[in-house]
Amino acid sequence: MRSRTITAPLAIAAAASLALAACGGGAGGGPQSGGDSKLSDGKVVIGLLNDQSGVYKDLSGPNSAVAIQLAIDDYKAKYGDKAVAKDIEIIQADHQNKADVANSKAQEMYDRQKADIILDVPNSAAGLAVATQAKAKKRLYINVGAGTTALTGDQCNKYTFHWAYDTAMLANGTAGTITKAGGKRWNIVYPDYAFGQDMNKSFTKVIKANGGTVGESIPTPFPNDNFATFITKAGQGNPDVIGTMNAGGDLINFVKQFNQSSVKGKVQLAVGLMFITDIHSLGADQFAGTQFTEPWYWNFDDTNRKWADRFKEKTNTRPSFAHAANYSAALNYLKAIQEAGTDDADAVVSKLEGKKIDDVFLRNGEVRAADHNVTHDVYLAEVKSPDQVTEEWDLEKIVKTIPAAEAYGDANPACKMG
Amino acid sequence: MPERTEVVTSQPRAGAPRRPLLEVVGLSAWYGEAQVLSDVSLDVGSGEVVTLVGRNGAGKTTLLRSVMGLHKQTRGSVTFEGLEITRRTADARARLGVGWVPDDRGIYATLSVEENLLLPPVVHEEAWPIERVYESFPVLHERRDFPGTKLSGGEQQMLAMARVLRMGARMLLLDEPSEGLAPVIVQRIGEIIREIKGQGVGVLLVEQNVKFAATVADRHYLLAQGRVVEHLDNRQFQDRESELLTYLGM
Amino acid sequence: MSAFVQYTLQGLAAGGFYALSALGLAVIFGVLGVVNFSHGACYMLGAVIAAVLLAEVGIHFWVALLVVPVIMFGVGVLIERLLVRWLLQLDPLYNFLLTFGLALVLVEAVKRRYGVSGLPYEVPAGLSGQITVAGVGLPAYQVFACLFSVAICLLSWLLLAKTRVGMIVRASTEAPERTRALGINVGLWVTPVFGFGIALAGLAGVLAAPFRAITAEMGSNFVIVLFAVVVIGGLGSILGAVVAGFLVGLVEAYGVAYAPAYAQIAIFVLMAIVILVRPSGLFGREETA
Repeated sequence: MRSRTITAPLAIAAAASLALAACGGGAGGGPQSGGDSKLSDGKVVIGLLNDQSGVYKDLSGPNSAVAIQLAIDDYKAKYGDKAVAKDIEIIQADHQNKADVANSKAQEMYDRQKADIILDVPNSAAGLAVATQAKAKKRLYINVGAGTTALTGDQCNKYTFHWAYDTAMLANGTAGTITKAGGKRWNIVYPDYAFGQDMNKSFTKVIKANGGTVGESIPTPFPNDNFATFITKAGQGNPDVIGTMNAGGDLINFVKQFNQSSVKGKVQLAVGLMFITDIHSLGADQFAGTQFTEPWYWNFDDTNRKWADRFKEKTNTRPSFAHAANYSAALNYLKAIQEAGTDDADAVVSKLEGKKIDDVFLRNGEVRAADHNVTHDVYLAEVKSPDQVTEEWDLEKIVKTIPAAEAYGDANPACKMG
Repeated sequence: MPERTEVVTSQPRAGAPRRPLLEVVGLSAWYGEAQVLSDVSLDVGSGEVVTLVGRNGAGKTTLLRSVMGLHKQTRGSVTFEGLEITRRTADARARLGVGWVPDDRGIYATLSVEENLLLPPVVHEEAWPIERVYESFPVLHERRDFPGTKLSGGEQQMLAMARVLRMGARMLLLDEPSEGLAPVIVQRIGEIIREIKGQGVGVLLVEQNVKFAATVADRHYLLAQGRVVEHLDNRQFQDRESELLTYLGM
Repeated sequence: MSAFVQYTLQGLAAGGFYALSALGLAVIFGVLGVVNFSHGACYMLGAVIAAVLLAEVGIHFWVALLVVPVIMFGVGVLIERLLVRWLLQLDPLYNFLLTFGLALVLVEAVKRRYGVSGLPYEVPAGLSGQITVAGVGLPAYQVFACLFSVAICLLSWLLLAKTRVGMIVRASTEAPERTRALGINVGLWVTPVFGFGIALAGLAGVLAAPFRAITAEMGSNFVIVLFAVVVIGGLGSILGAVVAGFLVGLVEAYGVAYAPAYAQIAIFVLMAIVILVRPSGLFGREETA
């Protein structure tokens, strides 16, 4: 068969090019534009830019638009005829977890679709790309889904806010609590890209600050299927705790293989970043007893449950913290417009800065003026064992509330607003 | 040698049956735009050996491939044992009893010698049992577990012929069986051809070795530029051997 | 030293699984000359079907090992009949692109139906513990997965090397036209062979379910490792896929253990070296056009 001689190199080329396709990048900028009537274009346009098809789709995705719509409903119900923003529109786009796509979509939203604010943007690289656009266009941007501290650090700007969590907060919550409780000797496994490196640094810092030590920090490829050897390495030297910073599908791979390994039972497993959607997909039994930091949990109290019921009516599922945070961000943005009497970005920013908020998502919340990080109480959660689970999404038990000050510490000195 | 355009079709033949085993009528064939066979008609009877003689490129191999059903761009008709098979696929023709022995012998490298023999289905009651194959070709028995292509050229030729006999082919399409082989092997092949002829199997033989052809064949078709230009019985063929050798450039 | 033994055993355990996962790819390429890029998606489909059968019908792992390959055989037959067949006569690039597109469609379809977070699956009863091999504790399930994979590879090899069906398939692979002229309807064998290759992908998916995340994307990266395995082993060679599977498993484990920064590249460096030294792979035949 003559064809064979053609296909051999073809297969190789395909394998190589697909391996490379994972890499990508992009940059761009755009001209400035602005508007400063009472309401630009007579309406408020809220842009939801997130992952609508990939790993973060269930965590946030299209259902965040439902959460934002709930915020719009609540705003209109509260202010009725007196509402400054009468015509409010939601637009959505999928950034496919790619920074270059996020960058161009953000540009399109701000310029062509006249978005007054962009919300959500999970994935650190994508989140930072949109911050650059927000700064250039002088429009608002509230990030919910990304974990990077750079948003409120060296890449902070006047128009960018970070609403729900960041890697430093997760480290304070998880590493701080476990180290204080006696888990002093850690080995860390982290995915070798911006988020994982960031998490590794944050955790190491907090562990050391609390009198612990990190024996080994082991980078893994991303994405990765086979963690067997990584787990063996992480188990060497008999640490008290193995911290995994892997997320999403990789976290599930890691935990499944950890549970089957000889390391399980000898060492405590701490998870850097875990979402309720991960627990749901792997099953409570696989994660049972694992502790992690949760920015918000739907079944924590009556306020949360009531909102979760409203959410379930529309979506037939329970909300993640990201859904609640998008709701909170959208509602507080609209309230700031109400106070300012305009949707002009600078006026709205000045109303948001320093604001203290208590709502369904934020408890003891404060929009910190210095770095625009929105600090609030967070929770040390534990995965329930299967016999404690009463309904499909009832997967967590809140062990302890971590006060905002402890979770977030001081404002990031790397942030120079201006 | 001047082209002879008249085609003699009613030569008397000794002992030939009334109805031919294989009958080709008005066969033309093309490769894309290029016509390689023009209106060829020939027939082969049971127990008859007929050769196709001609220069390289005369269309001999294309004719065999067209009869086998492997060459698709054709017009005309092919009848086997009274059954029109023009529209049948190659595998269906093989199962009717047409056996193809290609000029490269077509031995499988990924099959052992024995697997090469056992691959085709048995299609006729007079098919050679494997024991008989091994009796006639002891070397194949000796090397039955070798990969087929580890055999010598002559052995591969034996294997290729034995394979279609084990299948039970009633009509053999032999493409240059003597090519590149030592005289003693060629002689052995001649013996085999005479043996199967005795069993009533028809043979259509493409051959450039005129001397060899004369030792086994009953009749000869001379092919030039895709046409049958001469049709000779073996006596006429032998009489004109030197003329034919010159024509063929040998 | 005990760590070295452990890395070796882990590499071998992973390698057996790689061999089985790559086997269907090798078979389909060997017989049809099709570079089936949807192999990863079919592997994913096998795992997803196993998870859905468990959650909705209560069909557990051991039954799924039988049922899912049968279902996937049917899927393979459909793919071949409806799609791949029409392009077999054309440049192989066409079927490569077709199966690449098919993979995207399958992944998106699973995302739409089952979301992106993945589906739960448990380790089958009796295989959740540890087995001690050469003084080293290994996950019982992964040892099982490796042995099971090797057994299936061996059965596939026997089927191909020692049966009449295998003989016909080998002959059809080597020279389809000549095989037709010997009375065999080659076209009749193409469909079941494609189905068989897809069934193997599905079987690997079921085997993956207890120790891999079951997501729509689970095959998207994995298929690239499998291509490396098949290229190293020699396109179309079953023995090659098995040996290369173990080789890749070992290279990966040692890479992670001793040179983590290069672990991911190591497999592809190995592939490049093999291709430079033996362009047709370790066990590939030199093709004569």
